[in-house]
Amino acid sequence: MSTSNLLNRNLDDSDEEDDNFNPQPADLSDAEGGDDDEDAGAQIQNEASKGRVNHDDDSEDEDGDNGRARPAQNDDEDDEEGGDDDDEEDEEEDEDEEEISGPKRKRVKRSNRNVFLDVEAEVDEDEDEDENEDDENEIRDNFIADTHPDDEADLPAGGEMDDRRHRELDRQRELEASMDAEQQAEALRLRYSNKRGSGKGLGDSDIVPRRLLLPSINDPSIWAVRCKEGKEKEAIFSIMKRIEEKMGTKDELAITSAFERGGTQSTMKGYIYVEAQRASDILTALDGLMNIYPRTKMEMIEIKEMPDLLRVTKTAALEPGAYVRLKRPPKYSGDLAQIIDVTDTGLELRVRYVPRLDYGMHEDVGAGPDGGKRKRVTAGPRPPQRLFSEVDAKKRHAKYLQGNPQSKTWSYLGDDYINGFCEKDVKLQAIDTKDVNPTLEEVTRFASGQDDGTENLDLNALAASLKSSTVNTSYQPGDIIEVYDGEQKGVLGKAISIRSDIVTMAVLEGPLRGKTIEVPVKGLRKRFREGDHVKVIGGSRYRDEVGMVVKIVEDRVTLLSDHGNAEITVFSKDLREASDSGGSGSLGKYELWDLVQLDAATVACIVKVDRESMVVLDQNNQTRTVMPSQISNKIEKQRGGGIATDRSGNEIKLEENVKEYGGEGRTGKIIHIHRTYLYLKSSSQSKNAGIFVTRTNAVNSMAAKGVTAVNAGPDLTSMNPAMKRNPGAAPGGDMPPPKSFGRDRSIGQTVTIRKGPYKGLLGIVKETSDNNARVELHTKNKTVNVPKDALAFKDKLTGATIDVNSRGGRGGFTPRGGGRGATPHVGSGWEGGRTPAAGGDVGRTPAWGRGTPAMANGGGRTPAWKAPDNNGGRTPAWADGSRTANPYDGSRTSYGGGNRTPAWSSGAKTPYGQSGFDAGSKTPGYSGGGGDSWGSKTPAYNQPTPAAESWEANQPSGGQGWGGSNPYDAPTPGNPMSAPTPAALNAPTPGAYSAPTPAPYNAPTPGAAPTPAPGWGGAWGAPTPQAMDAPTPGGQQGYYGAPTPGAYGVPETPAANWQDDGPRYVD
Amino acid sequence: MAENFVPAGQHRQLRACMVCSIVMTQNRFLKEGCPNCEDFLHIQGSSETLYDCTSQVFEGLITLADPSRSWVAKWQRLDGYVKGVYATKVSGTLPDEVVAVMEEEARIRYIPRDGTATEAD
Repeated sequence: MSTSNLLNRNLDDSDEEDDNFNPQPADLSDAEGGDDDEDAGAQIQNEASKGRVNHDDDSEDEDGDNGRARPAQNDDEDDEEGGDDDDEEDEEEDEDEEEISGPKRKRVKRSNRNVFLDVEAEVDEDEDEDENEDDENEIRDNFIADTHPDDEADLPAGGEMDDRRHRELDRQRELEASMDAEQQAEALRLRYSNKRGSGKGLGDSDIVPRRLLLPSINDPSIWAVRCKEGKEKEAIFSIMKRIEEKMGTKDELAITSAFERGGTQSTMKGYIYVEAQRASDILTALDGLMNIYPRTKMEMIEIKEMPDLLRVTKTAALEPGAYVRLKRPPKYSGDLAQIIDVTDTGLELRVRYVPRLDYGMHEDVGAGPDGGKRKRVTAGPRPPQRLFSEVDAKKRHAKYLQGNPQSKTWSYLGDDYINGFCEKDVKLQAIDTKDVNPTLEEVTRFASGQDDGTENLDLNALAASLKSSTVNTSYQPGDIIEVYDGEQKGVLGKAISIRSDIVTMAVLEGPLRGKTIEVPVKGLRKRFREGDHVKVIGGSRYRDEVGMVVKIVEDRVTLLSDHGNAEITVFSKDLREASDSGGSGSLGKYELWDLVQLDAATVACIVKVDRESMVVLDQNNQTRTVMPSQISNKIEKQRGGGIATDRSGNEIKLEENVKEYGGEGRTGKIIHIHRTYLYLKSSSQSKNAGIFVTRTNAVNSMAAKGVTAVNAGPDLTSMNPAMKRNPGAAPGGDMPPPKSFGRDRSIGQTVTIRKGPYKGLLGIVKETSDNNARVELHTKNKTVNVPKDALAFKDKLTGATIDVNSRGGRGGFTPRGGGRGATPHVGSGWEGGRTPAAGGDVGRTPAWGRGTPAMANGGGRTPAWKAPDNNGGRTPAWADGSRTANPYDGSRTSYGGGNRTPAWSSGAKTPYGQSGFDAGSKTPGYSGGGGDSWGSKTPAYNQPTPAAESWEANQPSGGQGWGGSNPYDAPTPGNPMSAPTPAALNAPTPGAYSAPTPAPYNAPTPGAAPTPAPGWGGAWGAPTPQAMDAPTPGGQQGYYGAPTPGAYGVPETPAANWQDDGPRYVD
Repeated sequence: MAENFVPAGQHRQLRACMVCSIVMTQNRFLKEGCPNCEDFLHIQGSSETLYDCTSQVFEGLITLADPSRSWVAKWQRLDGYVKGVYATKVSGTLPDEVVAVMEEEARIRYIPRDGTATEAD
């Protein structure tokens, strides 16, 4: 049964076969005489007798025989036993065969016996009843006919015949036995070959073509069932197991088969496919099996797709010369190997490869070669590929080395080394045959390994290796392609689109012209004509070469390179029509000008790129030619490009121009900075493509560093607090605000906080910055940050509000006391028209000027600002003055000493004088007065005077527009002019008065004071004096500033303003 | 019926008959021979024949539960074989003399199972 199926035939086939098979022996066997019909009776009788007598034995015997010596007849035997119509014939044939084929002694014996046991045929008739009716009848008839006693006359003839036939057989057998084996074999061969020739034989026709096996709707369906990836095989076996377990039980599995097409590369991994009539069968069958998930996404496969599931593609035949990659042992994993020989089964190959040996160099002393090796394999990096060197091997492993130096055949550590290559038998499983993609460098190792040193690169072998890879196909739309294999062979067309390995092409010639067909890539090649200008696009060392096609042999194209006029031969698949010419300035990933690392200590800049090599200029200014493989890597430019300093310490950066110091004095643009080396590109030299290398300390930057610095540096303006604080200041001419030097005077002062969340709290200033102060609160044990302008300074002892700055400037208390004293005087002095106005204004003055006092020299500053505006250079003077005067010690001294008084008075007067000047008429008086009164101080005053004058000079022009004329006025005037004016007036007045009060000035001062006041009041009205006044103190203070306000009691003014002055004044 | 199940640990010892593509362990091939082709391959007991006629390189396992009804079996020309595990593709080529014996004696047309036959179709 089984063998008939081995034939891959259906039952019908075997029957058919039998039919054909049977007549043959009949023809051949001489014993039969010639007429089947004639013989039939005897034969059948024979059969029957055999059946009767030996039926049981028979079959047993036959089975045994078949099992041992007659495998080929198995099917016939089976058929016979199955009781086919051909029974007799089969039997007969069997006999013939057996008899002829000789070595069936047992059978022969039995036949002989049968011959003589004919009689028994009648006895066992009943047994034949079992046979089907036709046979039975026939046989019975025959029996009756044959054995009828009445037909005795006939019988002998039949009997004789029968007998004779048997004897003949005997004789024949004897004859055969006497023949020698050879003849016998010949006869057998003849007979069987003859039979096959005349019969149907085993040609193609006996195999049912696949197309007739296509699935129909009657066939079971196939479902794809999810399965754990990589566990497909196990799943299949576990299904097998379950099938066997359940077989014969009532819950036998209803599935008919299951299969998987897993594998790491397969697209069908993660699925198994189960064939069954119903999906529910699958669910029951697979339920609970490991790694199979029938409940998720079970998909039925369409009938037309079923054959695809089982498609088998032939693995490319491995031929000697082709290349493969080793998978094992790990040391050689991925290495290229060349096939030398393939065993018949194709499952084992002899390959050669470049060994990776270290010849025991890194072996642990004392460790065996094997042990050491094993350890190394896992531990260290594998040795580089190098052809076998017996010299090296002898150094430490001489005992493992045997071989013949002449033939260059060595055996070392169990491996054979021939011509430097290691040759080894490997199993198919241990190699990769797909996507080998040998690179040229690898292949050349094999090619150059010849004795004579000639390169005989076997392009065919290489092509075979390359073709087997699908990655390498490089068709692009527009390519002219030709089908050279398959049904469409010879068709020429243009590629339209490429989808994986199917190319859609529009046919350009022939009967299919204009049609679009799809062809697999493997049967395609690009078509070129001689004279085409083409470019090598890949897979070859000639990549990017451009040239003209001069010869085409199959798919190998020879072209004449545009470069160097060399003829090169490449595969047509690696070519494209080219419109450009010449190679690009790059080789692999390296491009011209790239900085590359040659070894750990050497870098170089690529100055020329050739086809396979490049010329580099290393850091030692030497050029050399290197292969891309000699370059360890490319040094990418750092972000920002790196910075170095030239010999004078200036910063130099990429793209900057520098000049060599000394030497040739070359100039160049920096293209690379590497440590202390600069690669410069000069447009004035042609050597090395204009590249030269220097050290950073041998060049001078040519860039204007100042500019660079400004450009590069931070925006100082925006960082300048002074500028920030006075945004109105024009960049050009203004002076920076006076700086306070030394300790901030507000530190240590008692303050109240006037604004913000801490408003009203009392504290002590602990630290200050420009704008903020840290105040330690009395009330809570806490230090808070408060803007300075939210602080009101209080006297430590009295709690009175003070101006810390002026106070600081003046010294603690004196002014206040004085001021107080004075103020009333002033007030009384002024009271007439002005006081109220002044009072009101005064209130304001500090308001805008309040910032001023907040400043270190607050009182002084506001004017100071004005002063510079008006008088330019004066401010510093003023500042100086203020400072000089301000020091506590100094001021106190002066106070105490009384020397100060004049100073004060002078200060006091100055403004007056000025205002007086402004006023015009009074000026002289004042000046005179001033002059008189301060005679001794004159020097100090003299200066102011001119200053005042010059200021005056401005004044007239400015007139009332004075405010406008000065940018700085804006703030000042920002307040109504009146405000400052009275303030100024007020302030000075009392100041002057107060300060001088004790002094001899007293007298004049009052005199002076009243004078202006009325004069002003009357003559000028509010605006004028204001205008004048504001500047006045400023101007004055420009020089004397500090003293002036201080002296005048500017402190007082603000003090009044700040707080409860209003009332005071008002009062 | 013998147990066709092979635990995963023994998968490395699996071989496939190049004629019928049945997959069994090497030991079982040696002990029992190929259940389908033993008549002419005589693998039983002969490791040489085993190496010649079976292959370790095969892919795509099929478990055949009902060879007579399965379309897969029909398509793979496995109908009539015993139940068991088969391969869709068996790499390797039967030695010429074995093929000759097969075709001469057993009158079996050898159909390689390494994919060459399907390409012809």
